[in-house]
Amino acid sequence: MVGLATRTRREEHLFLAGREPPAGKLAWYLISPTVLVVFLVSLLPLLLAFALSFTEAHVVRGGLTWRYIGLENYRYYLQSSAFWESLRVTAFFTLVSLAVELVLGIGMALILNQPFFGRNLVRALILIPWALPTVVNARMWAWIYDGHAYGALNGLLLALGWIKEPVVWLSTAVPWANVPVIGSFLKWVGDSTALNMILIGDTWKVTPLVTLLVLAGLQTIPGEYYEAARVDGATLWQQFRYITLPLLKPVILVVLVLRTMELFRVFDILYIIMANTIKVLSIYTFEEGIVFGHVGRGSALSFLVSLVILLLAVFYIKLLYSEEVR
Amino acid sequence: MYTYLRRSLAVFTACILVLALTAGCAQKPAAEVPKEPAPGSDKPFAGKTLNVIYMAQAGYQPPVFEARIREFEEKTGAKVNLTFVKYDEQHEKIVTSAAAPTATYDVISLDLIWTAEFAEKGYVLPLDDRIAKDIKKDDIAPAIWSAFEYDGKTWAMPFLANFQLFFYNTEMMEKAGYKEPPKTLEELEEMMTTMKKKGIVKYPWSDSWNQKEGLVCEYVWLTGAYGGDTFDAQGKPVFNQGAGVKALETMVRWLDKGLADPNSLVQDEPMAKDAFISGNCAFNSNWTFQYGLMNDPANSKVVGKAKMGLLPVSKDVFKPGSYETASVSGFQGMAIMANTKEPDLAWELVKWMTAPEFQAQHLEEMPVWTSVQKDPATLAKDPVMDVKSKEIAAVHHRPKVANYPEVSSIMQKYIHLALEKKMAPQAALDQAVKEIEALK
Repeated sequence: MVGLATRTRREEHLFLAGREPPAGKLAWYLISPTVLVVFLVSLLPLLLAFALSFTEAHVVRGGLTWRYIGLENYRYYLQSSAFWESLRVTAFFTLVSLAVELVLGIGMALILNQPFFGRNLVRALILIPWALPTVVNARMWAWIYDGHAYGALNGLLLALGWIKEPVVWLSTAVPWANVPVIGSFLKWVGDSTALNMILIGDTWKVTPLVTLLVLAGLQTIPGEYYEAARVDGATLWQQFRYITLPLLKPVILVVLVLRTMELFRVFDILYIIMANTIKVLSIYTFEEGIVFGHVGRGSALSFLVSLVILLLAVFYIKLLYSEEVR
Repeated sequence: MYTYLRRSLAVFTACILVLALTAGCAQKPAAEVPKEPAPGSDKPFAGKTLNVIYMAQAGYQPPVFEARIREFEEKTGAKVNLTFVKYDEQHEKIVTSAAAPTATYDVISLDLIWTAEFAEKGYVLPLDDRIAKDIKKDDIAPAIWSAFEYDGKTWAMPFLANFQLFFYNTEMMEKAGYKEPPKTLEELEEMMTTMKKKGIVKYPWSDSWNQKEGLVCEYVWLTGAYGGDTFDAQGKPVFNQGAGVKALETMVRWLDKGLADPNSLVQDEPMAKDAFISGNCAFNSNWTFQYGLMNDPANSKVVGKAKMGLLPVSKDVFKPGSYETASVSGFQGMAIMANTKEPDLAWELVKWMTAPEFQAQHLEEMPVWTSVQKDPATLAKDPVMDVKSKEIAAVHHRPKVANYPEVSSIMQKYIHLALEKKMAPQAALDQAVKEIEALK
């Protein structure tokens, strides 16, 4: 059976190739401008940056000066506490955001998958946060979190009588610093009230995307499965645990891959609200390479960041692949 | 299983496409059509083009700047392309332009904190010969010139003279029983304590102490208010001794006593301005721009109750007539990129933009020219010119070092750690000095 299928495919291939030999060449002619552009604006800079990461380089008038220093830049970061602090806070931001987004996203998708009056309207409405440009979202949350009585959140809570004093929402103090284990853990990962608050703002914007993807996945699950389960007396939780969740796995993996990559590179919302204060990897790289002008060292740092993301990607691809085979 | 995966992947792909499409919607500016060169010998630069980068933030506002540029085009026949960017974006754009074989920008606005870096790396041209030939040098105060001097040469023509001033709410002061603004830091602290005790205002002082460049500026004037400087003349950090330590201890003490607003730690200058003009604090220090906004009824709740005066200094260094106040400079000059093809035309533009007659017409910014500051016409139009003239003579500069962005980042980090009470002031400053000395 296998042999037959292979033979058929090969014959097909030969047939196509035999009939239109220039097709391959034509294809190459057609895509060559794209390949050239991709090479010039993407591949070439990538290679140059990689070369730069082994040098000590600076911008001078009309170009760059550099001196080859081998792996010194990489050694510098692996030994620098600032790099590890940055990696920890980035990982913390990524993991917590992912968890919150997934739980909320799946929950919202489950609700939106139920028939109710005005469902289509609600489905359209939840996309609004996602349609906002990140800059607009960041500025909006900065106003909401303003620490004076005229900040939107403080104003609301004061009017409701829930707080007596305006709260400094974007404070860099460590939350629960006095709670024994949690406090010292949060200090170690570099958490702050500001980071948690910004995390809420970012999650608010991105959860609709997760919801949308999960909802699409939910709609592919045939209703008969649930009917059969109900006949067998399965509870709602059992239906979710043994039908919905397993069948959603591929979609959840897609969400995980997409969001991990994005969260790991988070820059804009943190930079707009807090400038360089919360040094996640992207902000740290920007500061080292662009603000301080250590072009070589900055390149090395961005390749270290890419390496981390690559490892994550390999891990996820393995997961996705094993899923597909099964 | 395959179908589910494929379907969800299809949805995923669709999402990515939507993302890509929306991202691609950013508008591109239409290509500039060069003007026909105007004939005639009165327009010597006809047909030539200059590119200028300037900030759309503080200083002369873009429409004012642009109108002046158009007049220059009329006069010389040259074509000038203007790029307005945020203050924070200028540095990287200028550095990128410097790395190009031909300058992307011929004329830039140069913040004084870049003087050492741009001079040492040769990004901009020294202007001494041109200044000696065309400019009345003694009409601009030495304190302003010195901001743009490095290695014995002048690298920019003074353009904007920004600096910090003291702002006070007279209504709150009267309620507390004070008629005159404080002359010394000790008087100020006493007034704030009284206000706090009488419940006139929750936090009398609100400032821009978030972990940004503004924090270094506040720290520089406070160090000056204790009679010192953050760096010595050789460019070595000395702020972990004497005045620098007292300055940081004062900031921490004001926070501890509840005199300074805890919001200060997350505020930049515009936010500190909002706190003052909304009547949420009695005092603050800020750049000159706050003056216009606090007197604007459309924005301000303190019109008629807010005044601007001299920043107080410690009673230990206060000397009537010679050391009454201390401030920090935020000067900007106009400079010519070294890789420009049109240095002569660029100099003509720099002269035109920084000319005294332009500054005399636009007193919303502090003129750099002494003759304009002292002109009776100016004094008649601007009632606070004498205060500003006194304050500008008392500015302290931030350090002139080639790796300033890195130095500043270290200072911001450790000063902020002390304000957050994660480190003691002395220990924080010692660590900052140690890290600055270890920079390479």
